[in-house]
Amino acid sequence: MRRWATPWLFLAPALLVTALIVLLPVLNALWLSLHDVVLFRPRLRPFTGLANYVLALTDPVFWESLRHSLVWVVSAVSLQFTLGFTGALLLNRAFAWRSIARALIVVPWALPSVIIGLIWTWMLDFNLGVLNVLGVRLGLLSASIPWLAQLDTAMAGVLLAIAWQGFPFFAITLLAGLQAIPDEHYEAAEIDGAGIFQQFWHITVPGLAEVIVTSLLLRMIWVANSLDLILVMTGGGPGTATQTLPLHAFLTAWSGGNYGQGAALAVILTLLLLGVVVLMLWRRRET
Amino acid sequence: MKRRNLLAGAAALSAAPLAAPRAQKPVTIRWWYHFDDPKATPDELVAAFEKANPDIKIQAENIPWGGGGDYDTRLYTSLIAGNGPDTGMVKFNNLARLMEMEALRPLDKWVDGWAGKSDISADLWRLHTAPDGKRYYMPLQYVVLYLYVRLDLLAKAGLKAPTNFDDFLSTAKAMTGGEQWGFGMRGGSGGHDSWMPFVFGTGAKPVKGGFVSPQALAQNRYFIDLYRTHKVCPPSAPTDSFLQIVNNLKASRTAMAVHHISTANDMHATFGDAITAIPVPRGPGGTGWATFGDGSNAVFAASKNPEAAWKWVSWLSEGPNNVLYNKAAGQMTVTNSGAANWTLHQRRFVDATVQSLPIASILPNVSATADFTRTVWPQNTQKALLGEIGPDDMMRTFEKLFFG
Repeated sequence: MRRWATPWLFLAPALLVTALIVLLPVLNALWLSLHDVVLFRPRLRPFTGLANYVLALTDPVFWESLRHSLVWVVSAVSLQFTLGFTGALLLNRAFAWRSIARALIVVPWALPSVIIGLIWTWMLDFNLGVLNVLGVRLGLLSASIPWLAQLDTAMAGVLLAIAWQGFPFFAITLLAGLQAIPDEHYEAAEIDGAGIFQQFWHITVPGLAEVIVTSLLLRMIWVANSLDLILVMTGGGPGTATQTLPLHAFLTAWSGGNYGQGAALAVILTLLLLGVVVLMLWRRRET
Repeated sequence: MKRRNLLAGAAALSAAPLAAPRAQKPVTIRWWYHFDDPKATPDELVAAFEKANPDIKIQAENIPWGGGGDYDTRLYTSLIAGNGPDTGMVKFNNLARLMEMEALRPLDKWVDGWAGKSDISADLWRLHTAPDGKRYYMPLQYVVLYLYVRLDLLAKAGLKAPTNFDDFLSTAKAMTGGEQWGFGMRGGSGGHDSWMPFVFGTGAKPVKGGFVSPQALAQNRYFIDLYRTHKVCPPSAPTDSFLQIVNNLKASRTAMAVHHISTANDMHATFGDAITAIPVPRGPGGTGWATFGDGSNAVFAASKNPEAAWKWVSWLSEGPNNVLYNKAAGQMTVTNSGAANWTLHQRRFVDATVQSLPIASILPNVSATADFTRTVWPQNTQKALLGEIGPDDMMRTFEKLFFG
């Protein structure tokens, strides 16, 4: 009995802290989502069952936000992965000042999202933005473009910012993975007559498979949950053109004061993400 | 005898701590505030008040504004959590919600016995009366939105400042060309204030059926067409906010914009007499709507020292103190005595503000107003400006939000 209890006793402090900072808020969110909790009606919190969920799922803004979330996650993670992988391959090669380049590439990742949002908002600004000024002076644009004020360019503008912010994560993670692949594999392949692309496809990609899956999974969850950049750059606008699901939940709870509805949206988002993660892990195990 | 003396001495000694004048600990009043100018502080005011009222200490807490939404949500959560301030700055758009929370203390008893009451105009007291007839808000500062006009640009085109909507459109068209636009429209956060003079300017009112009345629908189409059809606004107008409309006007990229006296000194410093302010355009027969921008103080119901809190907020609204306060806030004094000798802004900007007071109005004091100003107005207006929805759809959404 004592032997059985000992590991649990050692684990107890960690379990207690995890329960306090993870489990309790999750349970609280579930409780909120089943009640009509409006910030400015603190005395009225009636149980409403699944009403908040029904309201969320029948609201066209929910489906629009979900569609934006899909575009946001797929585009942002693809861009970040492509840029990061390219960066990792370049940084894995020997060149002068490589150590400085490796240090500098981390800068976007280390900057707070709010700062990045403000930097890119001003860079894309219609009146003073450096991208418009350069574009017009170099003859690439006939006139300034209000990037963040147009339906067809606003999401692209925000995606540009998150791609810049997130690609160092892939670059650093994949660089670490690249350095773990033994040089002998490339030497043997070269002797066997394999070209650069064959080496990349048959040695680099399989060698990085574990790192790629894990980093993609992590980044996908982070990007799907992130709302800070969009909040700073567009607030979800113009209209609702850049409103993603977490931003919809945030605005419903924080700006609208409807914590019950906001919690239901957050629970739905969590379930959707859990579904994707379980599917990815299951597929990985299968293969 | 000796024994009696001893007893008397002992009694005197034991009573000494009670008889000695005790230094009373000052009452601390927490006051939440926000100034547009981040460099402005209320330190001078607090020091002057504490000198005059040594029994009260003011703990002034600068709360991030975040377009108003952040301030409001912080206020609600702190009040619900029981950690709210004793008093703080509030706006009309959250009056209904604060009333619903029973978070406000009625000020009528104090106001009626307050010596400074007659120094505040009847117009302001009328606007500061809640739907239940009580007064919860103490007037502190105000602005009325007016129209900035670049007189020098208009003069070059042989035009005069527009006073009605037809003239406004023709002037805006004449001022548009190249990298200059006639009107700096504010489609982003806070833009509802400069939209209302257009929509309610010909007689429509924000009452049941008002948003979808023929006048309101026609005027809203006029407003949306300024951007979509006539293209007299910068292409970034759907998301332009305070900084963009002010900077565009200062950079001569726009010739007209709707704002208020808090930017008057900046405009005068940039253009001198080449810029002026006039009341917003009016409809036929002089009908019009000038958005009243309020700034008030409230004493919260949970305050343990409401009398001391009232002393502070009433002191801030007294003639010379209110002038000193508005020197930091950059807005207009609420007192008649302060306004008579007002030197903080150029006279023409004060005149435009005062001339707009008779048509100064506010949105309904209902719970939906906060939602309207924070999310519903910008989202739907931006959609209409970008052609995602029609102008009439936008007005139907507003009608539904306010009146079901």
